[in-house]
Amino acid sequence: MASLKRRSGLGRVGFWALLIFILLIFMSPFLWMLLNSLKTPIQIITLPPSFWFKPTLSNYSNVFEQQEFGKFFINSLAIGVGSTFFGLLLGLPAAYAIARYNQGRLATLILLARMIPGISLLIPWFIMFRALHLTDTYLALILTHMLVGVPFIVWVMIPFFEAIPKELDEAGRVDGGSTLQVFLHVILPISGPGIVTASIMAFIYSWNNFMFSVVLAANNTKTLPVAIYNFISYAQIDWGGLMAAAVVITLPVLIIAILTQRFIVAGLTAGAVKG
Amino acid sequence: MKPRFAMLAGSAVTLVGLLAGCGGGSVGSSQNNAGNPASSTKGVTIRVVLANHPWTDGIKKLLPDFESKTGIHVNLESYGETQLTQKLTTEFTSGNSDIDVFAQRPLQEARLFVQNGWYQDLNGYVKDQQKTPTDWQYNDFFPSALQTENVNGTLTGIPIVVEHEVLYYRKDLFAKANLQPPKTIDELVTDAQKLTDKSHGIYGFVARGDRQASVTQFSSFLYSYGGDWFDQQTKKATLNTPEAIQAFETYGKLLKDYGPPGTLNMSWPQAAAVFAQGKAAMWTDADSVFQNVTDPSKSQVAQNVGIAKFPAGPKGSIPYSVTSWGLSIPKTAPHKDAAWQFIVWATSPDTVKKLQTGSSPVPGARASLWNDEDMKSFPSDWVAAAKASADGRPYDRPLVVQVGQARDIIGTVIDTGIQGGDVTAAASSANQQFQQLLDTEKK
Repeated sequence: MASLKRRSGLGRVGFWALLIFILLIFMSPFLWMLLNSLKTPIQIITLPPSFWFKPTLSNYSNVFEQQEFGKFFINSLAIGVGSTFFGLLLGLPAAYAIARYNQGRLATLILLARMIPGISLLIPWFIMFRALHLTDTYLALILTHMLVGVPFIVWVMIPFFEAIPKELDEAGRVDGGSTLQVFLHVILPISGPGIVTASIMAFIYSWNNFMFSVVLAANNTKTLPVAIYNFISYAQIDWGGLMAAAVVITLPVLIIAILTQRFIVAGLTAGAVKG
Repeated sequence: MKPRFAMLAGSAVTLVGLLAGCGGGSVGSSQNNAGNPASSTKGVTIRVVLANHPWTDGIKKLLPDFESKTGIHVNLESYGETQLTQKLTTEFTSGNSDIDVFAQRPLQEARLFVQNGWYQDLNGYVKDQQKTPTDWQYNDFFPSALQTENVNGTLTGIPIVVEHEVLYYRKDLFAKANLQPPKTIDELVTDAQKLTDKSHGIYGFVARGDRQASVTQFSSFLYSYGGDWFDQQTKKATLNTPEAIQAFETYGKLLKDYGPPGTLNMSWPQAAAVFAQGKAAMWTDADSVFQNVTDPSKSQVAQNVGIAKFPAGPKGSIPYSVTSWGLSIPKTAPHKDAAWQFIVWATSPDTVKKLQTGSSPVPGARASLWNDEDMKSFPSDWVAAAKASADGRPYDRPLVVQVGQARDIIGTVIDTGIQGGDVTAAASSANQQFQQLLDTEKK
């Protein structure tokens, strides 16, 4: 890092040019989406594409007013938060137990759920949820999304718990804590970065999930990835609306990732043993 | 459910829910007026699952009429085309669906659904004068539209939207070159050549080249050259007949020599965009997509778009004329009579007329409503071209169960043509594969 500071102006320019160039490549689909969400249909199909144009917000008003995306947004949020929360509730103790008591086989078994192609579960699920009168409820969607969320959480957390020295547990036991108390008061407080990483992954998975939602959700629980198809109609595609909806779907995840990224990095470097 | 029903229906809901395994709190009932078909469905909630489609937008606005007239409550859902298929197949496979009415694409799905026994045959309902008022006029539907819905004697659905292949052309470019819109496919080829001006980025012709998507729009070329996918009597594939090869070659040549770059990846949205940008002089596709090029808010050439009947091949002009969407009742529907009442209302002359003249006009399947007055929401040359195509072929893809695979096989030949490869060889190998597919479906 120190050598970077001493670099000549030219070197710095080169560094930034390269950085911007690489960023442009990675960001171009996102930029494209953003630009087109501000264009009218005729501006979208104009060739070559223009970068200076009079932006319109009509696509966004279409997304929120005519298509009522607020409703779908709440659905997605409730299911995402719900499945992540309950996933943590189940996954964290499971991962701790697996890490401390060397239950590798159990871990593989949990991962198995993630390996089964989701599509093969749809029909059995549908039959089950219909019998339980749970189709088109948050509960059904939260449960199904947990199927993928829990293995994520468990597998992210196992190595994390394993890296925590056993001496910490022992110290807790010496002070008179039960296993549960040690887990809750000693281990969990220093596992923040791992939990955040696992939660974000589980949440993003749920947020983007399409297949489970399309089959098990109906009018009351339709999620964003299903609702975005409202802009693709037979013989008509509203590209602008589609792009605006895509921005609306991407933005929360992006914001969460940017906000929590600092926390993850900070947490990782803090170090648990020294404390 | 209305509060005054709650007590009465409460116990019935639980009972019926348990028996049929389908609650959802939607089973209203009224035992007190048995006998009268109209009132026995009163208070019932039906689940109607439709596709994202201008027709769906139109019917949504009209729903209050139906609900106040019949007392039936409609729970309407709509999904994208492929999502709809996924949802329907999952629910029907489970054998435990509570869908009462669904929108279907008869040519894409009906054969599979019939094979699986998922339809309520509507023939019985159409003939039942108790359930179907005489002023509904079943015979008013276009014969080809009904034929599309008819699969081995099962009436799978009632047509709601019809579709034909037409020729879109640029009036200004034709006038500038002193040409008339082509009446034959031969003229189409020479006109495409004359109008291609690659240095100015103008191409004579554009159409779908994507392997799966191109098959339906290629079909009218095939038929007009005198070919077909297979012989329906003998179940022999006919993809390598001289007529078929001629059609494959012509379609390929048009896109290879006079088409824009990248046609191999084009379905209708891409082809429509090329035409709407003013980069193509002619385009053959379904009449249903016309707004993409004639609506000034979407198209740069809206004022100059002409629409004509599909040009004639050696066997004349034989475009497809199909039902692209219909309404069906699944065999498992909990409220079939109410579902049928909904379909009768949604396809009645009165409703179809409103849908055709509404804000998102959709061409209905009733012959009596294809007059100038009831079609005034459509461009006049569009109406003329579509009307002249009404007696075309009732299918735009092979009538098989595994439509997707068949389209893959046929699309390979189309793409070989576009790439300038050996069409004859590709056609005969495709013919062989297609024959195998037909053999597996023979019973």
